[in-house]
Amino acid sequence: MHDGAHDPIAGTLLDDAPCGYVVFADDGTIRAANATLLDMLGYARDELVGRHVESMLTVGARIFYQTHFFPLLRLHARAEEIFLLLRARDGTDVGTLVNAVRRERDGEWRTECVLLRIVERRKFEDALLRAKKEAEAANAALVASQEQLEEQAVELEAQATELEAQSEELRTINEELMERGVELEEARAAAERANRAKSEFLATMSHELRTPLNAIAGYVQILELGVHGPITTAQQETLGRIERSQRHLLRLINDVLNLARIEAGRVEYRIERISVTDLVESVLPMVEPQMAARRLRSFVRVPGTLDVRADREKTEQILLNLLSNAAKFTPPDGTIRIVASPYDDGRVAVRVEDTGIGIPPEKLTSVFEPFVQVDASSSRRAQGTGLGLSISRDLARGMKGDLTAESVVDVGSTFTLLLPAG
Amino acid sequence: MDVLARNNVKVFGRGTQPMLFAHGFGCDQNMWRFVTPAFEADYRIVLFDYVGSGKSDLDAYDAHRYATLDGYAQDVLDVVHALDLHDVIFVGHSVSGMVGVLAANREPDRFARLVLVGPSPRYVNDPPYVGGFERGEIDGLLETMEKNYIGWANFLAPAIMKNPDRPELGQELEASFCSTDPVIARNFAEATFFADNRADVREVQVPSLILQCSEDIIAPTVVGEYLHREMPRSTFRQLRATGHCPHMSHPEETIAAIEEYLRQPAAA
Repeated sequence: MHDGAHDPIAGTLLDDAPCGYVVFADDGTIRAANATLLDMLGYARDELVGRHVESMLTVGARIFYQTHFFPLLRLHARAEEIFLLLRARDGTDVGTLVNAVRRERDGEWRTECVLLRIVERRKFEDALLRAKKEAEAANAALVASQEQLEEQAVELEAQATELEAQSEELRTINEELMERGVELEEARAAAERANRAKSEFLATMSHELRTPLNAIAGYVQILELGVHGPITTAQQETLGRIERSQRHLLRLINDVLNLARIEAGRVEYRIERISVTDLVESVLPMVEPQMAARRLRSFVRVPGTLDVRADREKTEQILLNLLSNAAKFTPPDGTIRIVASPYDDGRVAVRVEDTGIGIPPEKLTSVFEPFVQVDASSSRRAQGTGLGLSISRDLARGMKGDLTAESVVDVGSTFTLLLPAG
Repeated sequence: MDVLARNNVKVFGRGTQPMLFAHGFGCDQNMWRFVTPAFEADYRIVLFDYVGSGKSDLDAYDAHRYATLDGYAQDVLDVVHALDLHDVIFVGHSVSGMVGVLAANREPDRFARLVLVGPSPRYVNDPPYVGGFERGEIDGLLETMEKNYIGWANFLAPAIMKNPDRPELGQELEASFCSTDPVIARNFAEATFFADNRADVREVQVPSLILQCSEDIIAPTVVGEYLHREMPRSTFRQLRATGHCPHMSHPEETIAAIEEYLRQPAAA
């Protein structure tokens, strides 16, 4: 079927050997091609023989031929296992593996090539190349992420160092604080010891002071009764002044004694269920004369069913203190309200509200401290030891309750006694 | 840094004026062996391999430096400085034509003449400029190169090359491919075929000879003519030799053309 007139291969064993075969001159002119190669590329013999060997290569393969294959043949006279992509007549590519030798034959230098079509191997190589590229890309990504991790690690290390420094600083501060805490604890213990000693002293002193005061009261009464003979009106008046001064002094001493007892932890409570209404009804009359003197109105709102668990006597003492304070510090024509209601979990609030001079915010907590009254001027306005609120709160707390204060200057104050619900 | 070892520099010949031969992509200094004997008597012949090619020191390869032809031009200048060459006749094949242009533009005082064998300032078409190739066709070359390196160089060569018991295997590989590292070969191919030195050739002050082959698909005649138009002081010489490697396929004609050019006074 092929015209073999100019081709020495035509009709020989080589013509249909199971590999392509091509011979070309140094200038690239194809001298011979076997039928297998012609079939591979779809050319008739006379379409290929006489043309340049580049005409059966893809463009990429032509460049490779010029830059690699040709120099190789020139320098080493042979080339082995070269991959070349052939371009078939219909434009399809045919991958081939080429072995070539350049030698002098028939009076000219010729290159003889054997070409093996590779299909499966090429697929494998393609897959291998792809896998290699993917592996390289993955490796690059890995390296990148590793670098990133390393950066992060460096950053974390820096942070760790910083944290460590901060931790060290905190430790130092903590140690200082602990040292100071120990000092404070020691100071607190010393203060407690001193306070207890003071309370002991006050309790003792109060007792010692009351004894002569009682003697004074007794002898005054004996004189008043005329046991030692009749007394004049002037003497009567003088004795009255002595008696009032004695009572005042006794009240002061009693207050001091009470506080001292409470602080020394020597107070005993007899807890029982008490109706709040009862409490108010028994205390209010005690301050009514005082209120009446200043034309103060009272307003009571206490639910009849409200009970507390408390020491009756001490609770009355607290309420009396609160009411007499209210009466004392409320200007004439003011109002005192007594309001009781359930407060929170198991507690009852008894509020004493007045329309008095009020307490400045910065003094609200200190009014509960011993010997404090709001200021010197109000102290003069109202007599007292300044122990009442302190004692009252201590007593309230002693009964698992509390005493708090809210106030607005020149509007009024509200004292809230909290006690366990009955 | 020992440039002479790094670039496998060989110096011989009985003359004093240096002729520095630079090989092209895909090969090494061996490609000049058919033409250098003709110049040994009158010139000082200097051969070298670019880093990454031939028997150069592969450890000196820096992918960043050799990503563009500037890195290769630096190799040329490094050799010029290492031997303190002056009045150099630079002979560059293929891509080395442009490498020589870059080197001569940087240090024109060192060079007397440029002989460019099959040069091209740009291989990829950029209408209306014709370089001869489409980008996809260059990709085809890269694929072919990859395939040819995959079987051995890529997977086997590194192991074989490092096998001291069987040095002959490495030598055989070297005989097969002038540059044996596939990554380097690919980088060189990209630096070569994606280069655009059209602006550089207009700056050339050193007289030059363009040796244009016939039927050269890599550097077609239109490209050589373009170069001659654009490059100051250039001389154009059309060879009968076909293909891209006249110094190997037609050494006599190539030698004669170079000798003739060197005898003439340089173009003004």
